Amino acid sequence: MATFLSNNKPLLVKNKSQGMMWVFAALNFIFLCCAGGLFFFLIFESYPIFKLEGFDFWLGQDWWVGETYGALPMLYGSTLVTALACLLVIPLALAVAIFTSEFLSSTPRRFVKSVLELLAGVPGIVYGLLGVSFLSLWIKDIFGLLDGNTLATAGCLLAIMILPTVLTLSEDAMHAVPAEYRDNALGLGLSKWQTAIAVVLPQALPGIVGAVLLGIGRAMGETIAVMLVVGSLDRIPDPWFNIFSSAQTIPSKLGREAAESIGEGAHWSALMALGLTLFLMVFLITFVGNHFLKRRRVS
Amino acid sequence: MKSATFEKGIVVLLSILTLLVSSLLLVILATVFIKGLPALHSGFLTEASEDFGRAGGIFYQLLGTLILMTGAVVISLPVALGSVIYQTQYVESAKVKEMCRQASQVLNATPTILFGLVGYLFFGVYLETGVSWVTGSLILAVMILPTLQVSIREAIESLPEQYKDTGMALGLSPWSQIKAIIIPQCYYGIVTGVFLGLARAAGETAAIMFAATTFSGIRLPESFADPVPTLQTHMLVLTQEAANPEALAQAWGAGLVLLSLVFFLTLMAWILRSRLKMEAEL
Repeated sequence: MATFLSNNKPLLVKNKSQGMMWVFAALNFIFLCCAGGLFFFLIFESYPIFKLEGFDFWLGQDWWVGETYGALPMLYGSTLVTALACLLVIPLALAVAIFTSEFLSSTPRRFVKSVLELLAGVPGIVYGLLGVSFLSLWIKDIFGLLDGNTLATAGCLLAIMILPTVLTLSEDAMHAVPAEYRDNALGLGLSKWQTAIAVVLPQALPGIVGAVLLGIGRAMGETIAVMLVVGSLDRIPDPWFNIFSSAQTIPSKLGREAAESIGEGAHWSALMALGLTLFLMVFLITFVGNHFLKRRRVS
Repeated sequence: MKSATFEKGIVVLLSILTLLVSSLLLVILATVFIKGLPALHSGFLTEASEDFGRAGGIFYQLLGTLILMTGAVVISLPVALGSVIYQTQYVESAKVKEMCRQASQVLNATPTILFGLVGYLFFGVYLETGVSWVTGSLILAVMILPTLQVSIREAIESLPEQYKDTGMALGLSPWSQIKAIIIPQCYYGIVTGVFLGLARAAGETAAIMFAATTFSGIRLPESFADPVPTLQTHMLVLTQEAANPEALAQAWGAGLVLLSLVFFLTLMAWILRSRLKMEAEL
């Protein structure tokens, strides 16, 4: 009897277990399809426009619906806005991260981290509303412009939006530097500040680079807030470095025009090609960023 | 001596900057609160909007947001749970595990507007769900998948090794181990993930603005094919009427409600995370 049971029961259990494994495998497959399908659809849907225009799609400066589609103004706008946001955010994020990681004790540090997590969760549309009601008016008044919706406005708003991400990740990187490094430096007679600058900062550099790259990825993909304050004009500023002129970024272009042509035609295909371009840029930046963050963790 | 003063100055400067950044949250909260207050009246949460959103309340918009985010979590949770369990319990190859993790990261980093575009095309056009709340829930479900996965994976991976050893020593099959050990012990991670996912879905505008939502015309969806009004779309449309003070006041009011909703969900996630974690460690 006992042999009978021990021979049979595990077999039954095993069959059920086997069945559940397939359920989990199927769910995992659905998840992988979501990630892969996104990429596949972007390529598939943007193929017609690349067939029509070839690589000129990325070099053309004019976007006339029904005639010609050129992505350069949007590419340029996205790059400039992101660069601006980075320029503003890196010094501030580093300064606060050094202080939080190296000078604060654990309770205030946790408080700062919680505040940052909440800040990161503020919906983009709320930032957009703040940008429209305050930032664009301030920029208009301060610089005496006719229109406050400019690349500079979008850059500033994005800087505020990505600050929590960049800050909290670079702080993590600094905090993860082993305590022995600090102890050694302090033992050699370096002050706390010198330790932070000369020992912790170089050690945490890969993590900081990763944090900034992830921030860039987020900034590039932000739609709503940028769309509301960037001015939405498909042109390269004249002269090219004039950040106080209206322009367009890839996501804001998609947000403005996708509803008009959804699902068909060259216009849709061109929008999907813009989406593909954005996806590839963000993918590359995030991939490299994660690589840096991981290297920090391993070493 | 001179360098000591210099350092003191730097530390003071850094502390001021940190204080400023921390007070940014307070500034945003206070601004939204002060600006949103005029729009709030006794029936703001329970009345329908009137005059194209310039007057009245936001009852149906709030309901729409709740419908979309609940739908998203209901769809996303089984997939997130199943895929993480598969990756942690069944997959043995480190390469495959790593690939799944990368896929999760890619999904997390993808600009949300792309979920809207591709999701609308795939669900709305190919699966014929149209511009509807179902499409919106499906799109948001894909979007919050990585958020849920991270919480669940963290919980499963932080389970003590002995639990698994004990389960194996008792001769439990993988499925029995999942049922008896992993899901009950990782309960807090799942709940935290759900709240964070809800918060992320509630704050999202770009992914659903042309695939699931409408500004006026519909109040409550009567079928699977109807779009819903949401707080986010409501705010977006009203914000673009920046010259109209009444519209803007209503937008701030809606913003206040949305922000409170998101913060409430995040705080719930934190509370559950810390409390249930403590219980799990007993």
